[in-house]
Amino acid sequence: MAIDVSLIIPVYNEEANVRPLYDAIMGSLGGQPFSYEIVFVDDGSRDETFARAAALAACDHRVRVVKFRRNYGQTPAMAAGIRLARGDILVTLDGDLQNDPADIPVFVETIRQGFDIVIGWRHKRQDDFARVHISKIANRIIAWVTGLPVKDAGCSLKAYRADLIKGIPLYSEMHRFIPAMTSLAGARLAQLKVRHHPRRFGKSKYGFARTYKVLLDIFSVRFILTFVERPLLWHARAFGISAAIGTVLLIIALVEQLYGGASTSVAFVGSGILFLALAMSLFFMTLIGHLSMASADFRIDEFPILTSRSADLARPSGEQTP
Amino acid sequence: MTTNVMTLATALGERPSAESDPACAPALWNPQDSPDEAGAVRESVELSVIVPVTERYEDPLKTYAAYKRALGATGLTFEFLYVLDGPFPDVVERLAALKDQGEPIKYIAFTKWFGEATALTVGCRLSTGRLVMTLPAYQQIDPDYLPQLVSALDDKAMVVARRDRAVDSTINRVQAGVFNLILGRMLRVRFGDLGCGVRLFRREVLDEVTIYGDQHRFLPLLAERQGFKVDEVTLPQAGSDRTTRVYSVGTYLRRLLDIFAIYFLLKFTRKPFRFFGTIGLMTSAAGVLAAAVLIFQRLFMDVALADRPAFILAMLLIVVGVQIIAVGLIGEIIIFTRAKGSHEYWIEKII
Repeated sequence: MAIDVSLIIPVYNEEANVRPLYDAIMGSLGGQPFSYEIVFVDDGSRDETFARAAALAACDHRVRVVKFRRNYGQTPAMAAGIRLARGDILVTLDGDLQNDPADIPVFVETIRQGFDIVIGWRHKRQDDFARVHISKIANRIIAWVTGLPVKDAGCSLKAYRADLIKGIPLYSEMHRFIPAMTSLAGARLAQLKVRHHPRRFGKSKYGFARTYKVLLDIFSVRFILTFVERPLLWHARAFGISAAIGTVLLIIALVEQLYGGASTSVAFVGSGILFLALAMSLFFMTLIGHLSMASADFRIDEFPILTSRSADLARPSGEQTP
Repeated sequence: MTTNVMTLATALGERPSAESDPACAPALWNPQDSPDEAGAVRESVELSVIVPVTERYEDPLKTYAAYKRALGATGLTFEFLYVLDGPFPDVVERLAALKDQGEPIKYIAFTKWFGEATALTVGCRLSTGRLVMTLPAYQQIDPDYLPQLVSALDDKAMVVARRDRAVDSTINRVQAGVFNLILGRMLRVRFGDLGCGVRLFRREVLDEVTIYGDQHRFLPLLAERQGFKVDEVTLPQAGSDRTTRVYSVGTYLRRLLDIFAIYFLLKFTRKPFRFFGTIGLMTSAAGVLAAAVLIFQRLFMDVALADRPAFILAMLLIVVGVQIIAVGLIGEIIIFTRAKGSHEYWIEKII
């Protein structure tokens, strides 16, 4: 039997939340006209999380549990869930009950209307003041740098068309940037307000210390996006800017010597040459990037196919027209 | 890399028979690929002992006798696999003599140096045991205590020995102390003696963990990263290991570079820009700061700028910083283009 929707739930030391979450899902998806499965990904919990999820799987065949050997982090957990999910639509949510499963039917409906990715937006966040505001600023920066107006990148409740998200590389701590990454394939994006509850059981696993790391990650994601989409643009910019600075410095030195009457300016000539050398080395480094793209383990030309609609050609896989 | 090793390997434990009878050769080369042939040629044992022979080794006759006596006490069936990392004719001679006496020994000799880690990996591929023990070609641990290592394995995937240095020479202790201190500081390593070559593990560990060159010391760390349970037991040091050793400067430098390489590998493989970006931004920031000071002096304190080499230094810092950042970004592209093929999580089970 085909499965319409897969719920992917990474859990890490959430023993108290597994059962209530399952009950909440049952409560809100009970009368829905689609079939679904629940994939718990146990990210190396040291408490009873796995045992409780396994107990659910024993009495409900729609529940599957993936157990990691040890703790690897949220992105690998999501990547594993996405890879193993069998549904046509994938929905990710947090294992801590802060997302409300009652929102899921609307997400599924939105995907069926033709969107590729639906992102939750916790407009009334139930966390402490500092966290809410730091994450607001972070969201602004992420939206600005990636060029996607995502209001709440940190919200785990998202829905994707399965064949799209399965085609996108997902690694390291990239889960914040999934929307940005899917924009590589030209994904149609929708944002929905979602309910957000304060934590009932267990402790939050986030800290502020990672802000700096996230900033560096934002920069690299921006770079990857530009490089993959328009490699020549980056090539030209890197080379052009440094070559221009070098040339300007050399011209200043020349003008000074011709009209200022002073002896040759060591500082300007020297730094002009340095920047020209930089231009050269960036030029060749970018070639290494092209080398890597040319030998990638996926093909860039698969991306447009993931999201395009065609009246004449059958889609390579997946979704029926609604 | 390993295939190279295979083809380059010259001497082989079962050389006379393997060369004269071609049917035996493939079975010995890669038992996993042809289980039927392998089963026909030799039955598998419970414990495979891999002894890598590198720069430092003792008389194989002596160490073999001591190791064999100790392992006999465990009650496991075992085989010895000597991996000679380069030409060691004297060792080959001794091993051949032992083999002729009917001892359960195999050996393979590389034509050149490939590194101890490669030697271990090749040894593991050629071995048949469910458990694999690595032992140095010289005694580090008092062999009489090896059975303790076997009993410590229990449900864990790997146990490493730690030498009890209570009576070691001062210089040895200082060297090991510095090595472990750097590791502890940089990587928060909880193992106290990574330089000890006595390890016992299930064969899946080396099947899954890739090590090369000099990375054998970090095998416990890499195994742990892939989710294997690793533990440490403290065992008495062998008497002969207590003699003071001083190595060449190059050896110490190489050791330091190894630590640095493994630090990078463990922490930044998936996010190279976090490493390069930090260093590059700091370098460039230093350059911008220096340039700002010089320009300030030029504008408000009337110090000429044009002939100051300090300005070139400031620009050099900026340029170098940008280059480091660019290297990091290229690293990100490489990881991005290969993220789908490699995986960064290991699943224990799926229900």
